[in-house]
Order: sequence, then structure tokens, then C-alpha cells
Amino acid sequence: MERTELPAAAYERRVLVSAAQHYYLRVRLELPDGAARPGAPQLKQLVVAALRELHGEVGAALPVDVLAYEEKTLCAILRVISSGLVKLWSALTLQGFYQNRRCAFRVLQTSPFLLALAGNSRELALD
Amino acid sequence: MVRFKNRYVLCEVLSEDPRCRQCIEDRAVGLAVRDAIARAHGDYGLGCCCVSFTVKYLNAYTGTVLLRCRKDFQRLLSSALPLVRHLEGRGQRFPCALRTLHVGGTIRTCQKFLIQYNRRQLLLLLQNCTNEGEFLQPCSSARGAAAQLLLSFGRGEAQCAAGGAELLPHRRAGTERGGGGGRWHRDRLSSTCSPVFRICIIKMIPSIVLC
Repeated sequence: MERTELPAAAYERRVLVSAAQHYYLRVRLELPDGAARPGAPQLKQLVVAALRELHGEVGAALPVDVLAYEEKTLCAILRVISSGLVKLWSALTLQGFYQNRRCAFRVLQTSPFLLALAGNSRELALD
Repeated sequence: MVRFKNRYVLCEVLSEDPRCRQCIEDRAVGLAVRDAIARAHGDYGLGCCCVSFTVKYLNAYTGTVLLRCRKDFQRLLSSALPLVRHLEGRGQRFPCALRTLHVGGTIRTCQKFLIQYNRRQLLLLLQNCTNEGEFLQPCSSARGAAAQLLLSFGRGEAQCAAGGAELLPHRRAGTERGGGGGRWHRDRLSSTCSPVFRICIIKMIPSIVLC
């Protein structure tokens, strides 16, 4: 049986898995009414403290950045190195207190591309 | 085949203070390592490493410690060992350091390594000793005490055993179980040592001396 040779490909397709350097998370901090709202440095300190509690000094040394923060809605965009995504997300999930008051981190969106956080179909208002 | 795989980390306790040897106990070393893991890797690291974490063997005279942990979390443990700075025992605190000698999958491989390592160390110590008097004197360093220990216990066995990791002739051949002889209770072996392991240690001593 003769095997016909495939023609030489005119294009090349490369698939990269988990190749992004950074991961972006859009999170919202839920606080009870009347609690003091943190500013951007306080939010960063809260995130790093959460990492230190769950993952120790190694976790606290993870490069996490707060790219944007709205104090009114308590929404923030965090950037973390790709290998540290699981550590950051788990630390945010288990962070339960801010200044001795109950709080919760809700992760709204996550993506290896920052632009992907611009469109959120969950918050789409359909008329 | 599904079974729990462990990694055994062989370490040596280095300390400048000779009194540190008194507080080398399995509980003190275990607590110190757990604290270091908790500081370095947090609650997650503590939970991971301490599932199957024990101090399997400890020799206060040579400062040899054998730690056990799960295979998947051996890197967490190994990365936290250099962060052990103090050993606390009996209300006293001594600065110390843990040096990793070997990581093995079984106690037997660690034992084989320890035999060769102790042989080399003994040769080095013998070269450093200048005369017989210094050799038999109790030295301040743990290594000197090791040489003293090996020699005092090994003189009896040297005549009987033929070298290598052989069973001592005064025990029944073919049996691996059963406690060691009374003379070994003088050695500061960890209380978690199983009888099988005590036999391994007894086998080690004559093989070192007959190098």
C-alpha cells in the first residue's frame, strides 16, 4: 500500500499552554456596612498578609501588584506571576478578617490577558 | 500499586556550643523543624509536611538526625531545614544549624550512606588525632565523642564480626526482629526507634570500625 505524502504545510501552528508570564485577577472585597474601607496600600498589605498566613515567607515574597483599585466599589485588579496564581487565589479565599471584622474576597474575573478583564458578560445589562 | 512513598532526609546538627548536644532530642528537633516549616511555608506547608513527619532516628553523640516526610513535600521540608537556627530543650536555647547529608527513599539507603559517611569521618578524625592519649580523651566536639563511642563499642565486636553489614554472632542468625542487647541502651537512641531499626544501627557500628 502506497502512502501518499502529505503536502508541505503552508503555515505553522504553535500551541502554548500556560505560557503567559502574569495572571490578572479582578477581585472585590466585601465588608460589612460601617467598616473602614481600605486604601490601595492597605489592600496590598491585606493581600500580602493573607499570603504570609497561608503560604509563609515564601508566599509573602510572591510578586503581587495592585494595578487598579476603586475605593468606592472596593474592586481591584491584581497581577501575579503565573506560577503563583493558585497560592494567591487560595490565600484570598481563606482571608476572613480585616481589622478584626469579617470580610470576603470575591474573585470576579481572571485571565492571562489584561484586556480580557475589560469585557465581562456577567455584568452585561440586557435591556 | 498504590502506597505512600516517603522520603528520608539525613541531617547533621552543627553547633559551636558543646552543651547543645544535651538538648538534641527527637521532640526538640521535631518542634524546631516544624516551626521552621511554619515560618517558611505557612499553614499550607505545615499541613503538607506534618502529615507523615517524624524524627526516625537521632544520635546525640554525632548529631545525626533522620527525618521522614511524604515524597511530594520533600522539597518543602528541605527548603525549610536551613532556616532552623535554634534548638530548645529544658528551658535552654542553643544556636545550631542543620546540614543535609543525604535524601533517600528508604531507611536502608540512608543507613548505607551513613555507614560510608561515618567511615570517612572516622578516617579524618584519626588523621587529626596526634597521639593515643588525645584519641581516648573525651573531646569537646561531637565528632571526638563519636570516635570514642565507636571505639569503645567496637572493640568487642571487632573480634567477632567479619566486616560489612553482618549480623552479630551472638544473636540468632536469620532473625531480624527482637530488641538489641542491653549495652545499646546507653546510646541515646530515639524512643521512636523500632526494634528493626535498632538492629540496623547495631549492624552499622562494627562495619564502620572494620574499615
